[in-house]
Amino acid sequence: MNASERFFRRYIFSTVGIVILFLTVNVALVASYFVIAYFGNVATSNFPLEDFSNHVIVENGQFTGDAQATEMLNKADAWAMILDEDGTVVWEENLPEELPRHYNATDIAMFSRWYLDDYPVNIWKRQDGLLVIGLSPGSVVNYYLSFRAQYVQPFLFGLVAVFFINILLMVYLFIRNAHRVEKAMGPILDGIRHLSAGKPVHLEEAGELAEINAGLNKAGEYLLKKDNTRADWIRGISHDIRTPLSMILGYASEIKETPELPDQTRKQARIILSQSEKLKNLVSDLNLTTKLEYSIQAIHMQSIDVVELARQVISKILNDGIPEQFEMEFYEKQPGRNIQLSGDNLLLQRMLENLIRNSIVHNPTGCKIELSVGIHENSCVFVVSDNGHGMSEPQLNALNSNEDISSSQKSEGDTEHGWGLKIARQIVKAHQGTIRFFDTVPHGLSVTIELPIE
Amino acid sequence: MNDRMILVVDDEAELLEMVKSIFERAGFTQVLTAASGEAALKMCKEKQPDMIILDVMMPGMDGFATLRELRKTSKVPVLMLTARGEAEDKFAGFENGADDYLLKPFLPKELLFRVQAILKRVYPEKERKVFFDVATVDLEKAMVQRNGESISLTAKEFQLFEKLYENAGRIVTTGSLCQAICGDFWQGYERTLATHIRHLREKIEENPSKPVALVTIKGIGYRLNIKGEQT
Repeated sequence: MNASERFFRRYIFSTVGIVILFLTVNVALVASYFVIAYFGNVATSNFPLEDFSNHVIVENGQFTGDAQATEMLNKADAWAMILDEDGTVVWEENLPEELPRHYNATDIAMFSRWYLDDYPVNIWKRQDGLLVIGLSPGSVVNYYLSFRAQYVQPFLFGLVAVFFINILLMVYLFIRNAHRVEKAMGPILDGIRHLSAGKPVHLEEAGELAEINAGLNKAGEYLLKKDNTRADWIRGISHDIRTPLSMILGYASEIKETPELPDQTRKQARIILSQSEKLKNLVSDLNLTTKLEYSIQAIHMQSIDVVELARQVISKILNDGIPEQFEMEFYEKQPGRNIQLSGDNLLLQRMLENLIRNSIVHNPTGCKIELSVGIHENSCVFVVSDNGHGMSEPQLNALNSNEDISSSQKSEGDTEHGWGLKIARQIVKAHQGTIRFFDTVPHGLSVTIELPIE
Repeated sequence: MNDRMILVVDDEAELLEMVKSIFERAGFTQVLTAASGEAALKMCKEKQPDMIILDVMMPGMDGFATLRELRKTSKVPVLMLTARGEAEDKFAGFENGADDYLLKPFLPKELLFRVQAILKRVYPEKERKVFFDVATVDLEKAMVQRNGESISLTAKEFQLFEKLYENAGRIVTTGSLCQAICGDFWQGYERTLATHIRHLREKIEENPSKPVALVTIKGIGYRLNIKGEQT
């Protein structure tokens, strides 16, 4: 899973989390309201009828309300009356003047459900009559709900269904939105990743995020231009340095080989020559590493006989001449086996040459250098090893990581520019291979390169 | 060989002078120079040089264009001097008809070695002889003279010997030798090569099992050590 997928997955999860949190909080709030209402007796909009009724007693056919009954009525700003079987008021307290003192069955049926002249009414059935309590108008709202029994269950089910449909719809919309954002963001995130890897970027400048895409394209172009400028600059410099360097090499070697000149002069010429040769290698390294870095160097893929490639490299090094304290050996892991590889002949030769020269340069007192080639699974394996000083642990780690080699070597105070290994690594990378640096026992450096065979 | 006429073409006067001096010090007596492609073509017509050293980057007609023009009328061997990068792709197959190329900056001995190798190949000298401890190889007749008797070399042995001789003193890889006798599809000919080498040793070595002239470089190839040559 890449970073953007992870990001959007997390986004969706957090959205679902928010919905669940929302529901939980709401349920908790409603529940706490009911709990508070229960304890605070807020829930009863009804007058305490039974209690009140007990305070109205009958003595000898006469109804009397006690002091507490009056107080209860006053507190609730209510009135009370008791109707007998015929609908006649037989007792009253605070009953407004405008209300009738006699009610028929229709009146009773009506007000028991709704209101009596705007007064919300509660009724209580006593043994000796009907107690009616009227509250002040507007203090209580009466609703009357009536359903046919067969609809109650579907109605409740419907409520639940509506609730879940709402939740699902909400989640769906969230996910859909997230996906739309992801779709728009994906190319941008990819673009940023490409940019950070130094690859060229081109995004379509359309849609809501067109401006961001355009910005990224601009940044990409800018980086590319900068890279090209740098590569051009290096190419220009190294080109301009070639002719003067040829002349220095030419005349220095002429002086060196003129026997009539004093020994001292010839010795100096030899130093000029060897230093100029270093410069020559530097220029060519600088040029190649720049080209590989900015992918300017075209890779000429061709079928290569790997064993012959290794032979060519060693014969070139031996023909150029190496100091006698060095010993070179070459062997095939599977003698006689023909190994073909698709790659750039010149670059692969350069890679092996750099590794061998690295062993030579770093072991001025001499060592034995071995090069072997072989097939392991689907890879062609080159091993360049020596029994020289080897390298320190941090150096090996730096070489095996993706760190910039030249900078890591500089810190060691190494006078070599360290491009040899960097170029070797770049060439391996250009061939989709791997390169690893190891210690050898008892001491020395071993470099293993694996290149895929097509 | 040193009487061969060499034409050096480069727009840089100082480099021209230096290359001329390299050849003259090496004993070449006829070294011409030209500062442009046009001048080089003109001089080719007039003087008919035996070999041309041609710079690629020149104002006006560049090295490639000059070479193309030249190839319409002449087969003279050409070594191109190039700054790495500007031409290496084009040189991959020597498509332009160059015989060899050398990257700038170069060492004088590299230049001389390559020029001499080309001259040796293109203008085989009459009476060319190569001397070893116990034998002399006559390249004209493809014969080995040894203890007063003449032994002939087979065609393959001769091709092999020529390749080694062109690179005398230097290691030649097994692959290059196989290629010299079998062509481009040489894979699998290593055994055949070993056979030819053995036969060649029997003809030029005093003790073929302890070779001193045609030595094996283990795993890499062979090297021919000559004692002297007459060209």
